[in-house]
Amino acid sequence: MATADASNGTSIRNAIGSVLSFFILILIGVLAFSIRLFSVIKYESVIHEFDPYFNYRVTQYLTKKGIYDFWNWFDDRTWYPLGRVIGGTVYPGLTLTAGTLWWILNSLNIPLSVETVCVFTAPIFSAFASWATYLLTKEVKGPGAGLTAAVLLAMVPSYISRSVAGSYDNEAVAIFALIFTFYLYVKTLNTGSLFYATLNAIAYFYMVCSWGGYTFIINLIPMHVLLCIITGRYSSRLYIAYAPLVVLGTLLASLVPVVGFNAVMTSEHFASFLVFIIIHVVALVYYIKGILSPKMFRVAMTLVVSVGLAVCCAVIAILAALVASSPTKGWSGRSLSLLDPTYASKYIPIIASVSEHQPPTWPSYFMDINVLAFLVPAGIIACFSPLSDASSFAVLYIVTAVYFSGVMVRLMLVLAPAACIMSGIALSEAFDIFTRSIKFQLPYHSGHSHVHAGDASLDSTVESDNVSKTEKSDDTSKERSLKKNKKKEKEPVEKPLSSKSQVKRLLVLPFEASIIAIFLLVLLGAFYVVHSVWAAAEAYSAPSIVLTSHSDDGLHVFDDFREAYGWLSHNTDVDDKVASWWDYGYQTTAMANRTVIVDNNTWNNTHIATVGTAMSSPEKAAWEIFQSLDVKYVLVVFGGLVGYPSDDINKFLWMVRIGGGVFPHIKEPDYLRDGQYRIDSMATPTMLNCLMYKLSYFRFVETDGKGFDRVRRTEIGKKHFKLTHFEEVFTTHHWMVRIYKLKPLKNRIRGKKKSKSKASSSTGSKRKGSRRNPY
Amino acid sequence: MAAIPKSPFLLLVIVLFSLISLAVSSESDDDRVSELLTLQSRSQSGLIRLNDQSISRYLTSVKTPRPYWIVIFFDALQLHEKSELRLKELRTEFALVASSYIANSKDPSSPSHGKLFFCDVEFKESQSSFALFGVNALPHIRLIAPHQGPKESDQMDQGDFSRLAESMAEFLESKTNLVVGPIHRPPLFSRGQLILIALGFLITLPFIVKKILAGQTLLHDRKFWLLGAVFVYFFSVSGAMHNIIRKMPMFLLDRNDPSKLIFFYQGSGMQLGAEGFAVGFLYTIVGLLMAFMSHVLVKVKNVNVQRVFMIFALLVSFWSVKKVVYLDNWKTGYGVHGYWPSSW
Repeated sequence: MATADASNGTSIRNAIGSVLSFFILILIGVLAFSIRLFSVIKYESVIHEFDPYFNYRVTQYLTKKGIYDFWNWFDDRTWYPLGRVIGGTVYPGLTLTAGTLWWILNSLNIPLSVETVCVFTAPIFSAFASWATYLLTKEVKGPGAGLTAAVLLAMVPSYISRSVAGSYDNEAVAIFALIFTFYLYVKTLNTGSLFYATLNAIAYFYMVCSWGGYTFIINLIPMHVLLCIITGRYSSRLYIAYAPLVVLGTLLASLVPVVGFNAVMTSEHFASFLVFIIIHVVALVYYIKGILSPKMFRVAMTLVVSVGLAVCCAVIAILAALVASSPTKGWSGRSLSLLDPTYASKYIPIIASVSEHQPPTWPSYFMDINVLAFLVPAGIIACFSPLSDASSFAVLYIVTAVYFSGVMVRLMLVLAPAACIMSGIALSEAFDIFTRSIKFQLPYHSGHSHVHAGDASLDSTVESDNVSKTEKSDDTSKERSLKKNKKKEKEPVEKPLSSKSQVKRLLVLPFEASIIAIFLLVLLGAFYVVHSVWAAAEAYSAPSIVLTSHSDDGLHVFDDFREAYGWLSHNTDVDDKVASWWDYGYQTTAMANRTVIVDNNTWNNTHIATVGTAMSSPEKAAWEIFQSLDVKYVLVVFGGLVGYPSDDINKFLWMVRIGGGVFPHIKEPDYLRDGQYRIDSMATPTMLNCLMYKLSYFRFVETDGKGFDRVRRTEIGKKHFKLTHFEEVFTTHHWMVRIYKLKPLKNRIRGKKKSKSKASSSTGSKRKGSRRNPY
Repeated sequence: MAAIPKSPFLLLVIVLFSLISLAVSSESDDDRVSELLTLQSRSQSGLIRLNDQSISRYLTSVKTPRPYWIVIFFDALQLHEKSELRLKELRTEFALVASSYIANSKDPSSPSHGKLFFCDVEFKESQSSFALFGVNALPHIRLIAPHQGPKESDQMDQGDFSRLAESMAEFLESKTNLVVGPIHRPPLFSRGQLILIALGFLITLPFIVKKILAGQTLLHDRKFWLLGAVFVYFFSVSGAMHNIIRKMPMFLLDRNDPSKLIFFYQGSGMQLGAEGFAVGFLYTIVGLLMAFMSHVLVKVKNVNVQRVFMIFALLVSFWSVKKVVYLDNWKTGYGVHGYWPSSW
């Protein structure tokens, strides 16, 4: 009777809990979506930064021309005259996702533009990501922890930084794919169902489509499998979770053109194959152990172990030989710098120079995961008591992610979900205990508590909860729950002893201290919310295509980039080529629809070096280089008037370095005075005569009469000069973008005549240039 | 004869002191090159130890242009203890470049053979050479071109030996147009050691496998994994990787007041070692205390003990969070504030 009543009560409670969870999850989704809208509210619905513009352009192409044309797309608008094979060199996941979304909306007669869909893809997928986090954490530690983790993930600053509305980049969908793949892996591990294993392989495929970070998955999961085997946790569920993933996953991954045969040829994937072999050996051992008597088994064991070892050694030797035969030992530079953190700083300056690849300092952690940094250790410990397959996976995930994030600040993004899961577990456990302490020690409640608390507050709470939960989820299939019970047999052997030896006693903490603790926890959570909202609103929402600045006389908006690109698209010929530093390549092709020489996909160093050389050469030499590349217009970004610090003059040393790397006549010391980079009157003559200086500062003195550069905070060195080979055609409102046109060739005959008549004139250098010019 | 400005007597003394040859100064450039080559082959590291006399013999008293380049490492034994100068490390790296160069241009027919000599000068032995080159700070590496005198020769910048042997070689290659070639670093383990390690591993392998199968290694101990996980976490959030990659010191000396030490660096791009560990500790301790409360303290029977420990844990946690927030605001200069729309 009593048990029937109790079960009835719990089932009603469970039902209410599910409904509540459902609504909470919807709210979490709304939160995740809306916290990312600051960029739209503060600025406008616009695509951000550089790479997203490329993705946007690819998506436009996809929606216009269809998937097959996209797959075979050879883009002749970029890397002129080389062009670029787009279909085979991009991760298509993001583009296909947004394209599909757009297609669905349009077939529902919701006429959204492609741009709108692209802008809001990231916020939508962060809602999905928080739901995936709920699912994953629920598998690890139950629904309470799941909800907490989901709400934490919905507003973790690190993830916000990559997924605000408008930041239409691979990471936007990839983080969702990452978490969802992990969820399906853990789900398979808990259930042993082939259905989930297949889904897992498909989710992995989606991840491979979306982001190069998929190698994290294909290394983390084998690591976990190996860990389980070593610590004696092998089970058939582990086999089902792993083997199909490797086989199907690898086959599917090699379907993505940009991965292709890399899925079996590069060292990043070898770990999975190695573990694949090991798990088969182990499975065989367990199988033989099952069918033989213990004595026979011992005999067979030695046989199998020796044969297995021999096979393993042979395979390892083959793998090692394969790896050793490739020059970088089969590892890409980035992966190597993760394993040996000092690698990049020693050998690959170009990787070491990118700000995303710097090792973070402690404030980065506080900025990006905020108070979660305090909670994670508690989560780790909670995962160890008790340790299950799923929770060991969560621990492994956080440990590897936190180590990698320590090497590269960019990988903070991978750490963020792990930190949310751990903190969710920690928070929910703490709340569980503190609220329990309060509830069962309330004055009027004291009489009841023992009866009610019965099973809920014993030491084995978590354990029994787990069992009931897993059984609940399994009762659709009897066979599975049978297996589960078998598996659980091991634990109950120890469990009854410990719980019997314990006095039936409430596991609670002092009442008033618990109240304080809850208050502090709520305070901590409130601080997290304030910090996240602040980060979303202030730090991570700037689209960097439209700039604003607050000053005493109000808000200033600098929309010069779009002004310039608009000018280009309206005033130049469709086939004109525009040269600029590679940062602006994607934007020029996407917004101005003009052909560029180099863009942000920096695959051809020589080509970039050519542009760098042109920018660092004197006018005449630069004109020749540009002329040889068919360039009609040159675009420079100049921040000296409004104080925009990331302009071309500040990036100029990189142009010199990269140019000098290929063309040795460009030497960095020529541009430096005593090792210092300066543009004032102390600057070197090479610096003052190079094209970048001239194009940036041409007519600059007319603005204020002195030529005061607000970024470098100094007066410029050379104020009055004329351009001989270039003419200014457009300068934006705040002078942030300046566009120059290459002067056409002089008429040959006139030039000759002039050269005779005006041999001593001041235009001598230019005249010579046009005469010698081979083009 | 005419090429040597000093008197014949002094010259004789010099020659006697130079320990190499008894021939008089009328000898040709070729002789000097071969002398330098023999000196080079005699030294183990490939560095030629010069003193005041030999410097005059091979540098100042030779008619320019000399047929060779000389690169000199200025060394001072008594400064080897000062770790911030990195003299020892730089000297071994310099020797590495020397031996690599020698090995790469061993063949007499190669264009680099006998064109560049790596020398070092010890401060105690040859103080006047230090004065001759105007060296008053170490580390100091100088490259003397065939036509240059000691004063006008090129000095290797701080930047040129920042990446050790590789950047030194780059500097030399760019200045001399000679080919230094790949740097031959001695392998971490010698061949014999490697074989021993492999053998040892093979022998212990069966035992390890047996242990693993029996399930009684350290790896089966949860506490080991737990400690490992928490340690990795602590290590990473303290930014230790940043300190390793950037070779940050644990603390700095205050420039204004040398008796004071700076433990905290203002500015978010950089951190000091001690600072990182301190904050990493604060990051970790809060979570550990929380776990302590929810896993250990609940099992304690005495209510008062629970109360005291809990109050203590809460106070420490509160203080740590507050401290980190304060430090973060101080270091980065961000002012985190609530974000309320001022108007709709």
